[in-house]
Amino acid sequence: MSQFLRRLTVTILFLFAINPGILAADTQESDGGSFDVMGKVVDHDYVEIVGVKIYLPRILLVDGEWYFYSNTKSAIESGQFMETEEGGLVRSDGAEISLDMSITSHLVYVWLAIIFTLLITMWAAGRYRRGLGAETEPKGAMQNIFEVLFVFIRDEIAKEFISPEKYKRYVPYLFSVFMAIMFMNLFGLLPWAASATADLTVTATLAGITFFITQFSGTKDYWQHVFVFPGVPAWSRIILTPVEILGLFTKPFALAIRLFANMLSGKIMIVSILGLIFIFTDLFGAYVGVGSSVFWVALTAALYFLKALVALIQAYVFTLLSAVFIGMAAEEHHHHDDETAVAHAQAVEVETNH
Amino acid sequence: MHYFLAGGGGLLSFNTGFAIWVLISTVVFLVLMQKFLVPPIMKALDERENRIKDSLESAEKAIAKAEQISKDNDKALKEAEIAAQKIRKEALEDAEVLRSEKIEKARNDADKILSDAKAAIEQEKQRAMAELRKEVSDLAIEAASRIIDAELDKTRNKKLVDSFISDLNNKN
Repeated sequence: MSQFLRRLTVTILFLFAINPGILAADTQESDGGSFDVMGKVVDHDYVEIVGVKIYLPRILLVDGEWYFYSNTKSAIESGQFMETEEGGLVRSDGAEISLDMSITSHLVYVWLAIIFTLLITMWAAGRYRRGLGAETEPKGAMQNIFEVLFVFIRDEIAKEFISPEKYKRYVPYLFSVFMAIMFMNLFGLLPWAASATADLTVTATLAGITFFITQFSGTKDYWQHVFVFPGVPAWSRIILTPVEILGLFTKPFALAIRLFANMLSGKIMIVSILGLIFIFTDLFGAYVGVGSSVFWVALTAALYFLKALVALIQAYVFTLLSAVFIGMAAEEHHHHDDETAVAHAQAVEVETNH
Repeated sequence: MHYFLAGGGGLLSFNTGFAIWVLISTVVFLVLMQKFLVPPIMKALDERENRIKDSLESAEKAIAKAEQISKDNDKALKEAEIAAQKIRKEALEDAEVLRSEKIEKARNDADKILSDAKAAIEQEKQRAMAELRKEVSDLAIEAASRIIDAELDKTRNKKLVDSFISDLNNKN
């Protein structure tokens, strides 16, 4: 029985793995020879599961009026909407859509990541509540992995960068955000799926949440250091205050761009390198294309390992920097310590930028 | 090819509707995690860590206590040994003193008996000498009076004999 299940799993994994080739060939035919790289990374109105497209509902607000359709096709068929040349929708009378609340592929992956995290945490919380791991040692690989991640976030990130009397409050946020981003990143490794974190909207929203948490945990000292600067000549505030205020916003901005760019570039690299097979076929004929494909596939496999690593590293970096920013804002002021804490945080930020 | 975005959309576009969805989902997600799911895990881990720390500390304390007890035992044993030795030594000394005292006493007794005996002998000797002297002088006088009865009166004879005897004494 277990052997049958194993074989089934391997077969399914194999299907998943060969899928991009099928898809790429598919795209090439339908678009008359063009290879659509951007199509793999931008948001869609459908999700693909092993090559099967599931179209998602559209929820549109035009001039204060809500429209609900089960998918894009039915929106167009209803006659209310028509397609623009860029592939977008406008109302038939030409009115622009003011708010597009449609369910999209990236949103589905955000939800999946959230649901995965919730389920795993619920499972782990249930075990701890029953006393497994609380009174005894944690049992099983799953719980051990969970605990390694959780304790890592708590001890190496939260405790390290947030003051000891406050860090406990931020562990749930840091852990949730780490797990959700990690799952979103890892979904990007599935050939037919997409990483939601390769979408600026998602990363900007996440960074925005970190930004709000940071500002709401700001102590008096933190705001004093943004606006007043105790101990510097009054005239220098003309320069320092705008820079500091700008700094409040550049931190989450960098956070959003870093995650977005890292995840997007990986996906684009993989699709582009696989695309070289078709470009070579176009340029030098089928034999060269097929022959060189060995090299491109090997390179893609190597990139996959790198991407798996980057998926974890970027989730870690986002969480780490969130903790650093929150820690800087929530710190009670000790004058000589403050300098080193800021310098340390900046050193960490420089180190993780690549 | 249906891209999703209302305006067609590119890589760097920010879609407000999508952002609202993400924000709502994430906030609900974070509230669930913060309120219900993570606290029991934190609590369980903290309790476990504290318990382990406490156990280690109490084990260390128990070891220290046991060491202290064994040290105390050793010390008590050593003290008892020293005390026993001291008692033995004292007993030996006492016995020695007693023995020498007894010997001394015995010796003194013996000396005393000896000197008593000597004194008694001397006394007897003196008495015997005196008696003997008296006897001899009496005998001599009687013998002399019997030999030369009328010629000499008793007083002059006695004087003569006494001087003779004391000469005799001196010759001895």
